[in-house]
Amino acid sequence: MSKKIGVYICSGCGIGDALDVSALSKVATKEYKAPVCKTDAFLCGKDGVDIIKKDVAEEGVNYVVIAGCSGRVNYDVFDFGPSVVLERVNLRERVVWTQEPDDEDTQAMAEDYMRITLAKLKNLEAPVPFIGEEVSKRIMVVGGGLAGMTSATEAAAAGYEVVLVEKEESLGGWLKKSYKIAPLSPPYTNPEETDLAGRIKKIEDNPNIKVYTLASIEQTAGSPGMFDVTIKQGDAAATERVGAIVLAAGAVPYDPGKLEHLGFGASPNVITQAQLEELAQKGCIARPSDGKAVQKVAFIQCAGSRDQEHLSYCSAACCVESIKQSLYVKEQNPEAAVYVFYKDIRSSGQYEHFYKKAQSEGVIFIKADVTGVSDDGGNITIEADDLLMGSPTMADEIDLVVLANGMVPATAFEDPALGGEAQAEVAAGSDQAAPAPAPIIKSNILNLQYRQGPELPSLKYGFPDSHFICFPYETRRTGIYAAGSVRRPMDMAQAVEDATGAALKAIQCVEMSARGMAVHPRSGDLSYPEFQMNRCTQCKRCTEECPFGAINEDEKSNPLPNPTRCRRCGTCMGACPERIISFKNYSVPMVGNMLKAIEVPEEDEEKPRVLIFACENDAIPALDMAGINRLAYSKWIRIIPVRCLGSLNLIWVNDAMSKGIDGVLLMGCKHGDDYQCHFMKGSELAGIRLSKVSETLDRMGLESDRVYMTEVSIMDYDKIPKIVGDFVDKIEKFGPNPMKGF
Amino acid sequence: MTDLNVSSEPVKYNPDFAKEIYALESGEHVKLCMQCGMCALSCATREEMDYSPRKLFLLMRVGKREEFFKANTMWMCSTCLMCKVRCPRGIPLADVMHDLKSHAIKLGYTERPQATFYQSFWQEILNKGRVFEGGLMARYYLKRGWSEMTKGLFEMRDLGMTMLKHNRMPLKSPKSIKGLKSMKQIIERAQAQMHREEGR
Amino acid sequence: MRYSFYPGCSMEGAAVPYLKSFEAVTKALGIGIEEIHDWNCCGATVASGVVGHYPAQVMTARNLALAEQKGLDIIVPCSSCYMNLAITNKKFIEDDHFQLMANEALGVAGLRYNGTLKVRQMIEWIINDIGLDRIKSMVKRPLTGLRVAGYVGCQTPRVFPWTFDDPEQPVFFDKIIEALGATPVKFPLKARCCGSSHSITKPEITIDAGYKLIKSALEDGGQLMVTPCPMCQLNLDAYQGMIKKGYQLDISIPVLFITQLMSIAFDLPPDTWALKYNIVSPFDTLSKYGIKP
Ligand code: SF4
Ligand code: SF4
Ligand code: SF4
Ligand code: SF4
Repeated sequence: MSKKIGVYICSGCGIGDALDVSALSKVATKEYKAPVCKTDAFLCGKDGVDIIKKDVAEEGVNYVVIAGCSGRVNYDVFDFGPSVVLERVNLRERVVWTQEPDDEDTQAMAEDYMRITLAKLKNLEAPVPFIGEEVSKRIMVVGGGLAGMTSATEAAAAGYEVVLVEKEESLGGWLKKSYKIAPLSPPYTNPEETDLAGRIKKIEDNPNIKVYTLASIEQTAGSPGMFDVTIKQGDAAATERVGAIVLAAGAVPYDPGKLEHLGFGASPNVITQAQLEELAQKGCIARPSDGKAVQKVAFIQCAGSRDQEHLSYCSAACCVESIKQSLYVKEQNPEAAVYVFYKDIRSSGQYEHFYKKAQSEGVIFIKADVTGVSDDGGNITIEADDLLMGSPTMADEIDLVVLANGMVPATAFEDPALGGEAQAEVAAGSDQAAPAPAPIIKSNILNLQYRQGPELPSLKYGFPDSHFICFPYETRRTGIYAAGSVRRPMDMAQAVEDATGAALKAIQCVEMSARGMAVHPRSGDLSYPEFQMNRCTQCKRCTEECPFGAINEDEKSNPLPNPTRCRRCGTCMGACPERIISFKNYSVPMVGNMLKAIEVPEEDEEKPRVLIFACENDAIPALDMAGINRLAYSKWIRIIPVRCLGSLNLIWVNDAMSKGIDGVLLMGCKHGDDYQCHFMKGSELAGIRLSKVSETLDRMGLESDRVYMTEVSIMDYDKIPKIVGDFVDKIEKFGPNPMKGF
Repeated sequence: MTDLNVSSEPVKYNPDFAKEIYALESGEHVKLCMQCGMCALSCATREEMDYSPRKLFLLMRVGKREEFFKANTMWMCSTCLMCKVRCPRGIPLADVMHDLKSHAIKLGYTERPQATFYQSFWQEILNKGRVFEGGLMARYYLKRGWSEMTKGLFEMRDLGMTMLKHNRMPLKSPKSIKGLKSMKQIIERAQAQMHREEGR
Repeated sequence: MRYSFYPGCSMEGAAVPYLKSFEAVTKALGIGIEEIHDWNCCGATVASGVVGHYPAQVMTARNLALAEQKGLDIIVPCSSCYMNLAITNKKFIEDDHFQLMANEALGVAGLRYNGTLKVRQMIEWIINDIGLDRIKSMVKRPLTGLRVAGYVGCQTPRVFPWTFDDPEQPVFFDKIIEALGATPVKFPLKARCCGSSHSITKPEITIDAGYKLIKSALEDGGQLMVTPCPMCQLNLDAYQGMIKKGYQLDISIPVLFITQLMSIAFDLPPDTWALKYNIVSPFDTLSKYGIKP
């Protein structure tokens, strides 16, 4: 299909007043020989859009360039169907709203953006989606507890077939061990029945849900839309093809054996929350030592949690559980004295009502550090530092002490049978700096056939890593969504919500995968990385750096991409030293052409040029918002959006410097433990790559500070002028790039 | 404000005292105190208080009965209602303070001047059905005794003079209301009803 | 418009200028006001602290029962009286058990209250029933340029928070000041406690509170304070000498009842301004508006 470019310049929104639009048209028609170039005063109006539609229909224009507002607005107005490649030149937010009107430098900026976009078209093709074979829309749920059962019923209710895998004999998980549960519905004041039988029946009666109990997963091979999961049940094994997986493997209580300092083990009357459920299930809460019904009960919160010696995190559910259990005691004997020794009561969400209920039943909450638990013939004495009284206190003649012993995710345990080294492979023989691989704990749950390791990468404490703020369910393995207490510590109400959310994500995934589209954050993107394999040196950078484990290895050690696992971040493209990875609409040469299209003034003109590579996820919106708020910033900058800083190929820095551009600023998301990178590792990897760039610059005889990376979140829009200004000032101090004019 | 009694001997929790407070008219609400400190922050007279309302409730929870009633907290409350408006647990603190005052008076903790003032005020109501400021003052100083009276009168002398000068302090006591007897009967009946309810 | 009126004990004593100006202003507005016959003390903030809430409320209810015989809603200018009457009234309306018990007690005097009346706070009533336009139309002596600190006091806006105004930073009072042609100043402490009856038992509290209030009023150039509360007026007016002495303050600020200011702005006969009762003389401040002793 031959390319026919149509350029449409809008002069509305103040663009026509601030810029010389006819000069701008000349860039398109004279420099880039665009066959069609039109100007309209109100391009997003019906008449404006009709001009373009007409050209598409009658003139065969198939590459449409709209020079006007940001691509983040009016995308619905400027939609000419999948066969038309659309590019937007942001003259409004990025030029007119941030620069002096009617100024030669403003005009130069606008013309450069026109050039950058038209240069981009050279290597740009409409992507052809990757459609897998025998794509399945079934959803597998791993774990049959409350979260798993919820995910299964929710996905089935939405019309999807579900395969539910449970390791125990029957479904229910923690519900089986509970006398009652914290309320899941208003008024959130009374413990509720578990309704285990009802929940199980709902699953058994649903023809769309297939249940495997006493089952484990031997291996999970393939990729979204085409996962082949081998399920073992005793000696038998079955393979199920599914499109996406919800991991709801839950958590287990923290080992009370480690809580000797709180009296566990020394007295039979010091028990865990799970043991109290057992007692309550039996019908009478009595002292284990002599069977006497309890008169005085104490709960010790944060037993093991929020404790640097044990679990440094808050287990999130134990406050609510203790509140519930304190009500069991009050139900059995309203006159019983119940103390809750706490650090903070974290009864989040609607459970404030539950907390109040326990208080109004007379449960006494004491903010204290417990300093000692001792047993005198079954009567227990607790000594504590009452933090509100500011004095030591004690409670004696306690019949039963319940430790709120917190939770540890099922993914945090290593199976000794697998050898126990909780490590992914270390970056092998490479001269490039590489990040430490994410810890992957061989917990024997999914047994992924991924080159990068058999389970989900974790960030901390064994919980699967996910973009906590924006994409909580999405793990670092596309198509696998964590829900419930395996994802992070949470109570049952949250687990139900989580499970529902994850089911929805799994549904989105199977639907997108079947259409060859990317899931979040580039949802709907049809492009995917293609490898020019004959030039591959098998360095393995791409397989190691892909944050999502999308690239396996074939028998000949060549990279083996799995397009449906891919999130289209381009990190592999940035990593590849041979530059053989590209997308139909995003590639190393393409960005190279774009930056080369920038006109660099002669040294004596004293007009520096600073190139900004800005991440599309946060930095670009922040730059747009700076424009919307009319925040003026430096006229020397030129911005090129990138999918993720992870896609930054160092050759671009090289090219920019050789071209005489004076400085390069990289704007990406925050990285580290509390990262905000939408591709999780992209900005971190860019930082690591950049550490190599100083060598290159030294070789060119340039100050290494001419290239700088900064973190910008969408909220930082007001800081944009300063960030940009400070960098430009620094570059101006260095003086012009001596490569200018070469 | 004084610090809570910091002793090296561990204090033993005694839940019984709290029950005594919970049984008061607005006492039930106190159960819901979550020790957030909003009342302390809001109180108009907290600087004068031995313990902020929050700390007073803490003493109650621990069971320190004597410290509780000896504290001036309830007597410092001026019923400005700020805490009641702000308490996130909806505890009507000003009402609780009034409960505590009347409970303290009942228990004989009457040595504070405010207790005297309250009692004098009530006597004044029972006397005429309305409160005559001159009569109230006379009762108050009479009860506080001579030394306080002379001290008080000395301090207040100028004030009294100016008020007289501006006709703001009628010297002649007004007449009793006509229905004084029936008002007292109503009150007595109400008190009897309350005792009956408490007895339950 | 006819209403019952509950003056409360202070209007018979220290707050006599309130009573005089209130009666004049309502008369000028053409509103019929009938004092509840043989009313008794509402209990102030004290009775419940001696005998408990219930007996105190039943005592208060005697007034409601007497008023109901005329069937007229009750206007209450004093803040504490309003608190007691309005809360008791609400209990009658919302709490059947309370109503039953209280009527049994009232019954010993042959009285009964059915909860048919409304208890209205004077300020809220002025705004909602009389209306600011009517007030404006009555102004014959606009107090243009007079900077007034509207001291609402603590209880008035907080008895039923958010029902007619913000309990901490009320605005309704300033609207009346504005309607009189004066300029309400910023007065962040406008709903802070004045120290109440601590003036007798622990005057330091009242003096300290008064100092803070006056300072806050002066900060934005306040020349005059007005209040709807008898206790606030007394504490700030009568104790101002002690406040000034204690804190070496050399400015005075007159403190008027809102109805006094209304009577002035309506240009009613000078005796209804009742300014002779004011301890801190307002005449310097008001001379520019033709107000002389
Ligand atoms: S939920 Fe409560 S008990 Fe559990 S760790 Fe957190 S604060 Fe501690
Ligand atoms: S690095 Fe990004 S673009 Fe490359 S394969 Fe992985 S997910 Fe896809
Ligand atoms: S504001 Fe309410 S909940 Fe908070 S400490 Fe005071 S009484 Fe307790
Ligand atoms: S009502 Fe009493 S306790 Fe509450 S803030 Fe006012 S003075 Fe303090």
